Amino acid sequence: MNAPATFEINGTAIDATFAEAFPMKATRLIITAHTPGWAMNAANSLTGFATSVIGCGCEAGVERMLAPGETPDGRPGVAVLLFAVSSKELAKQIGRRVGQCVLTCPSTAVFSGIDPATSRAPLSDKAALGSGLRFFGDGWQISKMIGTTRYWRVPVMDGEFVCEDTAVTVKAVGGGNLLLLASDLGAALAAAEAAVAAMRRLPNVIMPFPGGIVRSGSKIGSKYKGASASTNDAFCPTLIGLAARSELSAEVGCVLEIVIDGLTDADVGAAMTAGIGAAAGLGRAAGVLRISAGNYGGKLGPYHFHLHALAASLDGSRA
Amino acid sequence: MSTTTLRVKTPPGFRVDASVLRPASLASMSVAEIERIVLPSGNDSCVVGDVFQVLRNETTVSEWNADGDTVTLVIDGAAPWLDCVGAAMDGGHLAVHGSVGDYCGLRMMGGVLRVDGNAGHFTGCEMRGGRLTVTGDSGDFAAGALAGDMEGMTGGTLTIHGNAGARLADRMRRGLVLVGGNAAEFAASRLVAGTVGVAGQLGPHFAYGMRRGTLLLVQRPAHLPATFTDGGHGFDVFWSLLVRSLADEIAPFSQWRADRLPVRYAGDLAVDGRGEILIAG
Repeated sequence: MNAPATFEINGTAIDATFAEAFPMKATRLIITAHTPGWAMNAANSLTGFATSVIGCGCEAGVERMLAPGETPDGRPGVAVLLFAVSSKELAKQIGRRVGQCVLTCPSTAVFSGIDPATSRAPLSDKAALGSGLRFFGDGWQISKMIGTTRYWRVPVMDGEFVCEDTAVTVKAVGGGNLLLLASDLGAALAAAEAAVAAMRRLPNVIMPFPGGIVRSGSKIGSKYKGASASTNDAFCPTLIGLAARSELSAEVGCVLEIVIDGLTDADVGAAMTAGIGAAAGLGRAAGVLRISAGNYGGKLGPYHFHLHALAASLDGSRA
Repeated sequence: MSTTTLRVKTPPGFRVDASVLRPASLASMSVAEIERIVLPSGNDSCVVGDVFQVLRNETTVSEWNADGDTVTLVIDGAAPWLDCVGAAMDGGHLAVHGSVGDYCGLRMMGGVLRVDGNAGHFTGCEMRGGRLTVTGDSGDFAAGALAGDMEGMTGGTLTIHGNAGARLADRMRRGLVLVGGNAAEFAASRLVAGTVGVAGQLGPHFAYGMRRGTLLLVQRPAHLPATFTDGGHGFDVFWSLLVRSLADEIAPFSQWRADRLPVRYAGDLAVDGRGEILIAG
C-alpha cells in the first residue's frame, strides 16, 4: 500500500501520488443543426463507442452546448472533442465518425472548432473533414471559399450538408485520472457524479467513459498472452485479501475512476482539481474515504499530475 | 509606424509604371533613395523625384489605418497616368488620393490598397490576396485575367463602390468581388469559382460560361440567361455563412440577413453548371 495520506479535505484523504498522462492528438468539431436536439443527436452518435483508444480508435465526448451566437452559421450547436494516439488515427476516426454520424443526421453541418490563432495547445496536422466526405456528392458537391476557409456543400435529401474542408488538430494530453475510493457503491457514485459535473463546467476537457465514470480501471499487461491491459487488481475491493498489491484498506467498498482528456496539461490539471474539490467536498461523512490516481511509476507518460499540488489550492488541511 | 507620402508635383506627360512603389520596400529606403527610384514608361522613364515630392513621417497614423505596426504609403494627387499602382503588393497599406490608371492591384498578394477615386482597366487583375478598394468606378476586366492567361482573380477582396466595366471577374477562380453600382456586359463571365456581388444593374451576357461560383444580385435582372435553371432549395446554411462573411463589407451586401433566403438559379448549364445566381434584393 501507499504511504499514509498526509492531506485531507473534509476528512477525505488525498493520496501522495500522481496521475500519469500521455501525449495525444486532438481536435474539436462544432456540430450545428436546426435545433439543439438534432445537434446533440449527431454529437451523441459521433462520440458513441469512443471511451478508450484501446478498443475504440479514439476517445471522444461532448465538451459543451453552443448558443447560436457562438457557431459559424448562427445555429445552435455542440462542441465535441476527439482524441487519438496519432494524427493518422485521428484523421481516420474523424472521417468515419463524421461520415456516419453527422452527414447522416438531419439538418446538421460541421466545422473545425480550434482557432489556430488563439489555441494554447501546440498545433498539429490538419485532418481531412469535408475534403474526404465531399465524394458522397457524386460530382454534385460544390467547394466554396468564404474568407480564408474552404467549405464543401454536399447535396443531401434535406438540402445541403455543409462542412469545413479540414479540421485543425493539436498536440493534446490524454489519460489524466482520479480514483475515488468510497465506503460503498452509492457513495462512490455520488462522489464521481459530483466530480464529473464539476469537470464538465470547464472548457477543453472531456471525460470519455459512460457518464464520465469508469469502473474497470486497468493496469498495463496481463497474465494472458495478447492482452495489453487487464483489471487493476490493486484497486478491486473483492481482492483486498487476495491481491498482493492491493492498495485498499478493509473499509473501502467501491472504487470508481474518472479519466480526463484535455487540450493542454493545464486543462487536465484544472479539471482534476475541480474533481477533487467536488468529490472531497462531500467528505468522509458521505463515505468518500480517499482520492488516489493511477500511474505507471512515472516512466511512461511525460505529464505527472500530483494530487497534493492540485489540491493545494482547495480548502484542505494537512493531517 | 512609418508613413511615406508621395505628393505629385509635376506630371510626367506620359504614363508611368508605378509597380515599384510598394509600402514595405519604400519603408526601408531613405527619402533620397526613394527620389532616385526609376519609374519605367515603355522606352521612356523618369525618377520619383521628378514627379513626386517625397515626405516621410515616422509617427503619424493615417485616418484609415489604426494598425500601428503597418507601414503606409500615401500617393497624393494621383491621376490616370499612374499605371500598375500596388501591382504585386504583398503587405502594408497603400492609400491613393485621386484616380489611377490601368492594372491597379495587378497580381496583388496581400496588404490593403485603397483608391479614393476611379481606376482604369484591369483593376485587381489576377489578384491573389489582400484587400483592394476603389471608391469610384473601375474600367474593364476588373478581377479578370490578362489576355491569354487562364485564371483571373484567385484570392482577396476587391470592392468597387461605383460602377464596373465589361468582363468583371472574367475567369475569376477564388476571392470576393463586390460592386456597389452597375456592371457592364459579360459580368462574371467564364467564372471558374469565387463570389461576385453586384448591387446595381447588369449589362448583357452576365454569367456567360459560368462554371462554378456565386453571383450575388440585389436587383432582379430583366432576363436570366437561358442556360440557367431553377436552383432549388435547402442552401440555408451556406447562405448564413456567406451573409455573416459580408457583414463588414459595403452596403447593401452587409445588410443582408441570414433568415431572408435569396432566389437561386443554377448554371451555366452550357458548361459545368455548378454555378449559382442568388438574387437577394
